[in-house]
Amino acid sequence: MELFCLGLNHRTAPVEVRERFAVSAPRLGAAATELTSMAEAAEGVVISTCNRTEFYLAAPDARHGLLQLESGLTRRERLDGSVSSHFYRKVKADAAQHLCRVVSGLDSMMLGETEIFGQVKQAYQAALAAGATGSVLNRLFQRAFGVGKKVRTETSIQEGSTSVGNVAVDLAEKIFGHLKDSEVMILGAGEMGRITAQSLVSRGARAIFVSNRSFDKAEELARDMGGTAVRFDDWQHALERVDVVISSTGCPHALVHRADVEKVRRARKFRPLFFIDIAVPRDIHPDVAEIEEVYLYDIDTLENLANEARARRQCQIAHCELIIDTELAKLNLPGT
Amino acid sequence: MDRWFLIIATLLAAIGGVWGMISVHHGIRSRWTVLWMGAAVVCQLGFLSLRGHLRGACPLQDIGEILVFLAWAITSIYLLIGPAYRISLLGVFTAPLVFGLQAAALISGMLTALPVRELPTGVFHALHSSLSVLAYGALAVAGVAGIMFLVLDRQLKAHVMRSGLFRNLPPAHELLVSLERLLWLGTGLLTCGVVAGFLMPRTPQMQHTHLFLALAVWAGYAGLLAVKAVRGLTGRKLALSTVAMFIFSLLVFARV
Repeated sequence: MELFCLGLNHRTAPVEVRERFAVSAPRLGAAATELTSMAEAAEGVVISTCNRTEFYLAAPDARHGLLQLESGLTRRERLDGSVSSHFYRKVKADAAQHLCRVVSGLDSMMLGETEIFGQVKQAYQAALAAGATGSVLNRLFQRAFGVGKKVRTETSIQEGSTSVGNVAVDLAEKIFGHLKDSEVMILGAGEMGRITAQSLVSRGARAIFVSNRSFDKAEELARDMGGTAVRFDDWQHALERVDVVISSTGCPHALVHRADVEKVRRARKFRPLFFIDIAVPRDIHPDVAEIEEVYLYDIDTLENLANEARARRQCQIAHCELIIDTELAKLNLPGT
Repeated sequence: MDRWFLIIATLLAAIGGVWGMISVHHGIRSRWTVLWMGAAVVCQLGFLSLRGHLRGACPLQDIGEILVFLAWAITSIYLLIGPAYRISLLGVFTAPLVFGLQAAALISGMLTALPVRELPTGVFHALHSSLSVLAYGALAVAGVAGIMFLVLDRQLKAHVMRSGLFRNLPPAHELLVSLERLLWLGTGLLTCGVVAGFLMPRTPQMQHTHLFLALAVWAGYAGLLAVKAVRGLTGRKLALSTVAMFIFSLLVFARV
């Protein structure tokens, strides 16, 4: 029995091709069974996420199985032969190594992301439940999960946040601990502000206040986020109670000055205040950072921190690949 | 024999501190520091019980014993609150202080070589000494939490997030909450210690300066807590005041 993999991902295929081959989560088991028979294979697992669709199969002849599967898929989707340029093909040990890279997050758009581990697990369990797996793929996937865990625990491939929103949330947690007692105010109804605030809410932030020059827009965003709209003239009053301020207005000059914060310090009993300024030009005057209990981060600082985390993850790739190769060499998997 | 207990306790604190610092330098949290410190507290208890047996009284009769008692109080309070409240790195910051106090106690002349049996001094004297040193233990750990906050605050202000220290330090809010709780605990114990001090039978040799200094320390801590509760204080001011107050409070030992 020989192992092989046919797949396409964000690097090899545009979204209009990827969406043709995407399989919804409830159909993963049925798709595995269907493709196994299409490729004249004995076992099959289908992995489908927003960035990739991959078919792992075990057949007596990997080359023949690949040809059968590719032509079957092209026929079924009524595509011409040009689609084959978007596919990558992995056979035997290369296929096993590729799966380990995928599970470890090394092949992801966001290097080291952890969500893929759960998605592959879900795909394998669906195929297992549908009876599409056998001794080759069962052993391969179980070992790949072990290797994925080892990579994550022995390297720092998943450390640090690689997006501005996540950096802001991590910082908020470093200041306030769990966010369930924290209140957030958004100044401006921009998209970035909304996304960052949603990240804070998803980690437990208690209340959201939205203030915008157009009160209608503030109300709309507040409704979407389950928060409260605040008139733009009143944001200084709200400053007395909130812990985090996310600012993303299109104001051409600084909106929050040192004097604004100084005014509310006594009322706040000098509690820490975290400003996330993602506006360009900046909404919060840099002098505000000189106040003892204020932590001010602008978009450049957040971007730099995200870039640093990405660079740190890049440095870990060689170490991760060494772990994968060493583990695979030890395992002597069938079909490879 | 008592000195051997102290030497081993000092080595264990040193190992705990160095081990923890190396782990932090490599970006990982040492789970062993708590074990080294746990072993250190057993040795401290061995030392204190032997000295107590020889003295026939609470082992707080010379400056060396007071330093070891203080080190024991600090270690015990760390072991009580550090793992329970998951204040990571508290042990790494506490170990050097414990090591320093015990190393100072080992300096020649700090510990009486042949402790003599003490004459009974009364229950209030024993209560004053032991409660005050326990209070100092809590206040010292509050100072350690204060230093941890100051380190984190500086890194947050300067946007320095790459270090293993930053990644492993607990959140600023949790450090401040722990610091405040320790201040309340320490000040509560100190209140009882000072009251017991004033209830001690008066003797002509008694040093009144010591009691007045203790009262000044108590007033300082009580004032700090009152200001925090009524007016509020920035984290940095609270942490700096706690560290400064602890250093000032050591003057009481100079007059013991």
